Amino acid sequence: MKKMIMAGLMMTGSLVAHASSHREAPMIAEDQYVDNTDVYAFISPTDPNKLVIVADYVPLLLPTSGPNYYKFSDDARYEVHIDNNGDAKPDITYRWTFASQRKNGATFLYNTGAVDSLTSPNLNVTQTYTLEKIDEHSGARGVIMQDVPVAPWNVGKRSFANYEQVALQAVKQVNGTSAFAGPRDEPFFVDLHVFDLLGVGGSHTTDGLNVMSLVLEVPINEIAQGGVRPASGMTGKTSVVGIYASASRPQVRVLRTGRDRDDYGKYVQVSRLGWPLINEVIIPLQDKDKYNRSSPKDDVANFGAYILDPEVPKLLNLVLNANCAATPAGGRTDIVGLLAPNGTAAADLLRINITMGQTADQSHFPNGRALTDDVTDTLLTVACNNGSHIGDGVDANDKPFTATFPYLASPASGNP
Amino acid sequence: MKAALLMLAVVAACHRHEEPRPTPKAAIAPLAHATQADLARELEAADRRGTWASVRQRWQGQALHWTVTRYRSLCGAADACFVAPFPISRPAKHGWMPQLELSAGELARVEAGCGAAEQCQVTFEGTLRELTASAEQPTALRISDVHIVSATHG
Repeated sequence: MKKMIMAGLMMTGSLVAHASSHREAPMIAEDQYVDNTDVYAFISPTDPNKLVIVADYVPLLLPTSGPNYYKFSDDARYEVHIDNNGDAKPDITYRWTFASQRKNGATFLYNTGAVDSLTSPNLNVTQTYTLEKIDEHSGARGVIMQDVPVAPWNVGKRSFANYEQVALQAVKQVNGTSAFAGPRDEPFFVDLHVFDLLGVGGSHTTDGLNVMSLVLEVPINEIAQGGVRPASGMTGKTSVVGIYASASRPQVRVLRTGRDRDDYGKYVQVSRLGWPLINEVIIPLQDKDKYNRSSPKDDVANFGAYILDPEVPKLLNLVLNANCAATPAGGRTDIVGLLAPNGTAAADLLRINITMGQTADQSHFPNGRALTDDVTDTLLTVACNNGSHIGDGVDANDKPFTATFPYLASPASGNP
Repeated sequence: MKAALLMLAVVAACHRHEEPRPTPKAAIAPLAHATQADLARELEAADRRGTWASVRQRWQGQALHWTVTRYRSLCGAADACFVAPFPISRPAKHGWMPQLELSAGELARVEAGCGAAEQCQVTFEGTLRELTASAEQPTALRISDVHIVSATHG
């Protein structure tokens, strides 16, 4: 049966043709550096009083992508938004902004010799960032850390004798908050061979690819409503936080022949992500770009009917004969319920229980999302809703995740 | 200065993509066909022709008499009541769910008619106060002065 489902999945291009949120909408596919790919949130395995949030951007990166290796955009704002009172509106925002530097413009090389530290004079191209915390009610902005180095690209063995030792120097800790920004092994696992004439069947197609990761570990009481972590056993709206990541760019860009471009105007959101796969398989093509510009608080008003009546099970039946349950006359209120735990407003937010006593072992999708969670199988199974397990045949990442911050695996090398 | 002029030129150029705004009318002319299906057809046409502004102009302020599906989990408070404008159509062709602004008495009528049912049919009269519809933003409707005509289930 499983073999038949996998064979059938070969024919459901729109179902698994994209990774979690990699190149999921037409416009963002043209602006790779600000394309959200995945968001993860879990209670810290090393300190249960902290929450780990991973926001990944820039999809499907080849390790051998020199000489101008991938980075974050200097012109964009990368943000993680947290709703701590259940109304689907951000109460706290963490914002990363980046600046690139080069030491020597008279060479094409990313590094001009072997690199053994982030301060190596041989590391020619570098990037730094500022991390701010914004109170969305008062508008108050506070700088948590600034001039923090981004981990370099894993160019290859000739450049980095011990890449991870150098990369982990980019971990910064300030007042209980830990941050990391830089390339990591792509943690999302899925079979993308659907592009090869629908030839899916358990191939680990994201193995060996990298992604740009923002990793944050924050004390839970700093993101809980009122600055107080809810007591154990609480079940109200404030017992969970809802998380989404976004990227924004300035409204106006002027290209010039005489000098570099100029950017003007307010920042406009161009990408967002909470749950995996929502914009891929729930939102149809006509609204995908609009989804990326909109806010979770408006998800029901804008896209609610798609959630009540998703396309996925119809396609599974049409193409696979998967025998998925028909959408009940009352619609998929079960999915709405998953998007609205503990009385919170339904929205595409990754919600996680933050009450006292919660541990990393309890942080599994849809209560947060662990790096190891097979969300493709979970969501296909939920969508099909017939009691059978539906999967793509890829159940785990190729590299093990680490036990300590930043938890993601070291990126694939450009010259292993 | 040069940069400012350039920016103005860019902004002006961007504005030219939108059709000219129709002249505001003193009163909204009632539409002969003002069902949710009529609105959906006009929005689909706007998506092809860029006539978003005229759709907004024609529809905002219209008195509506619609029958919709009320889902208990999405319409449980007077200020947070979203209803499905179309039956389950396998799959949904439109994502928008109108927001009904209900007075407390009207919400009570909904709840009395629908009981504990997960979904029920609600017929209402109200005014389309705000229609968000453009090439850039997803469609959203806010309907105010809502009077419940009937609420039934089963």
